[in-house]
Amino acid sequence: MRLPRRWLGHISGAGIWLAASVLFGWWFGSVAWALVAALVLYIIYMLHNLYILDRFIDGAGRMPLFDTKGLWPEIVARADRIKSRARQRKKRYNRLLREVRESTGAISDAGIILNADFEIVWFNKAATKLLGLDSRRDIGARIDNLLRHPDFVNYLAAPEGSSIMIPPPNQPNGALHIQLIPYNKNQQLAIIRDITREAQLERMRRDFVANASHELRSPLTVISGYLDTLADDEEMPESWQVPVSEMLRQSHRMTQILGDLIELTRLEAADTVTHADFINVCDLLREIAGEFEGREKSPQLTLHLEADSALVGAESELHSIFYNLINNAVRFTPDTGSVDVYWRADGDQAVFDVVDTGIGIPAELIPRLTERFYRVDAGRSRATGGTGLGLAIVKHALQRHGGELEIDSVEGQGSRFSCRFDAKHVAVRRGAAENVI
Amino acid sequence: MEVEDLGQHISRRFNEDLESVRSAVLQMGGLVETQFDSAIQALAEGDSELGLKVAQDDYKINQAEVSIDEQCSRILATRAPAASDLRLIIAVIKAITDLERIGDEAERIGVLASRLAAVERPSTNYRELRNLASHVKKMIQGTLDAFARLDADEALKVVKADDVVDEEYESIYRQGLTFMMEDPRTISRVVDTTWAARSLERIGDHCKNICEYVMFMVYGKDIRHTTLESIEAEFASDGRAKEQSS
Repeated sequence: MRLPRRWLGHISGAGIWLAASVLFGWWFGSVAWALVAALVLYIIYMLHNLYILDRFIDGAGRMPLFDTKGLWPEIVARADRIKSRARQRKKRYNRLLREVRESTGAISDAGIILNADFEIVWFNKAATKLLGLDSRRDIGARIDNLLRHPDFVNYLAAPEGSSIMIPPPNQPNGALHIQLIPYNKNQQLAIIRDITREAQLERMRRDFVANASHELRSPLTVISGYLDTLADDEEMPESWQVPVSEMLRQSHRMTQILGDLIELTRLEAADTVTHADFINVCDLLREIAGEFEGREKSPQLTLHLEADSALVGAESELHSIFYNLINNAVRFTPDTGSVDVYWRADGDQAVFDVVDTGIGIPAELIPRLTERFYRVDAGRSRATGGTGLGLAIVKHALQRHGGELEIDSVEGQGSRFSCRFDAKHVAVRRGAAENVI
Repeated sequence: MEVEDLGQHISRRFNEDLESVRSAVLQMGGLVETQFDSAIQALAEGDSELGLKVAQDDYKINQAEVSIDEQCSRILATRAPAASDLRLIIAVIKAITDLERIGDEAERIGVLASRLAAVERPSTNYRELRNLASHVKKMIQGTLDAFARLDADEALKVVKADDVVDEEYESIYRQGLTFMMEDPRTISRVVDTTWAARSLERIGDHCKNICEYVMFMVYGKDIRHTTLESIEAEFASDGRAKEQSS
């Protein structure tokens, strides 16, 4: 290590000073005393400069040093440089912080930073507006003490899915969209967006479809009523018989579509079933299979009831799930093929499968199947008499029963539609009593 | 405000226990709030299914009460809390009884709503009731916020707001009397409406009680059965004394 020049200068200066004092002492015959005096002076000099440096670092003004060049002035100058650099950096950070604060304040979404115990660390202005938080008192408070909606509390404890929707605390008709984003180790950022308007639009759309379907149904009933009478009329000229029966068929189809639309809007209106019963799935499936038995020209339908788990849910909705899936399989399977229906347990879950040897679905179209009125082959499915809403109904009804729809298919060889019900909605006979609500 | 210094205990577990009791009460409060909202929605929209669901779900609130009660007994038995901690536990034990009652009243409103959904609705569509309900809703919210923040001012505000609720209940009652005298066919509906208003008024009273416990928790003084003026005078002087001492 090489000493810097200022230190060499200082040390050599001190050496000269000591040598001079020794020489001086030797001249007067008292080397020791002269050395002591020189060292005392040196210590005073050092302490004085140290004191000035200390004061300077503390923020007092710059006091004059004994010397203008050498080690000490340089140290003070360097301290000055460091200080002013720190000051500049602080200014820059402050500006940055202010800008960040202002910009987060301007964001219309509320942001709240939470620590591991869900205590509020920081929130922006929008949070004050949306949730009625108070920046003076609520820092450090637990968020679920102030935002007490049970859905939110449950979501906080066990985040299922990416986000939830709750009404804001101060207006029950609104809607808030809340998303928790974990970051760092234990911190979380809650982003809260006011979606009252979107929710309203969504409700308007739903109401519109429901109302329109209801309104269309009454005139249609009249039309199909008259067509029924006309079709039965024996005096009708031959040339009219084909058109009338075609009109009758189409009006029935329209009634069916409207019925499905109304069913679908009803399912969409709520996420959960309001009245849940125990549904004996085996009996239900036997009943549905019975409906297909009498039909001419249909593929072989076989039931495989491997479990006797019951489901907790609404019977009409479960019926339409099972019926629609079996009906689809039967419709798209040639008469020589077969349709196998399975009801089985998988751990705590229960699974319903429909396996057919039908025409299958191209893989790239599978994600679109549950869209309303989506048809893989428009001509064919109309010929077999579907409404185009069956799978959409299945999807929504399944959601309400904690189920998931999985579709596997190979074109030309057949398909498998599986409904997997989560443990919460499944009641195994033995433990049924525990799940009674 | 000694109660806020919950962080001063030697035993960390004790702090956590106290905090968790407080959170449990507020979560129970959240449940009560949603039940109340649903009951009022059922009433306003004539949704009998929702009304019955409220009646069905009351068991959740009862369960919460029992479990919090147990927690409190356990803390009393194992920690023997003193001073502000003891006040917190006492206030919690009392407050959950009132919260449970609020839940019961909401259940009753739910049942009434499902019954009222079946009969013809008045032209006002129960505007007075909805108005009263929005007052009461604010009271419930204010109560729980006061409890969460240990805010005696907010609690005092809620106590004051109870007068408005009482007045409105009175006017709904009188209005009902005139309806019944004018047209006896409305009697069954008006009786049900009055019962609903009565339940709302009772909820207001329960909120007031809880707020009194909050003030007890914060100041350590029992203010039940005293007039508003004396409460205000006492706490105003208390506040000044505190300002001077700090």
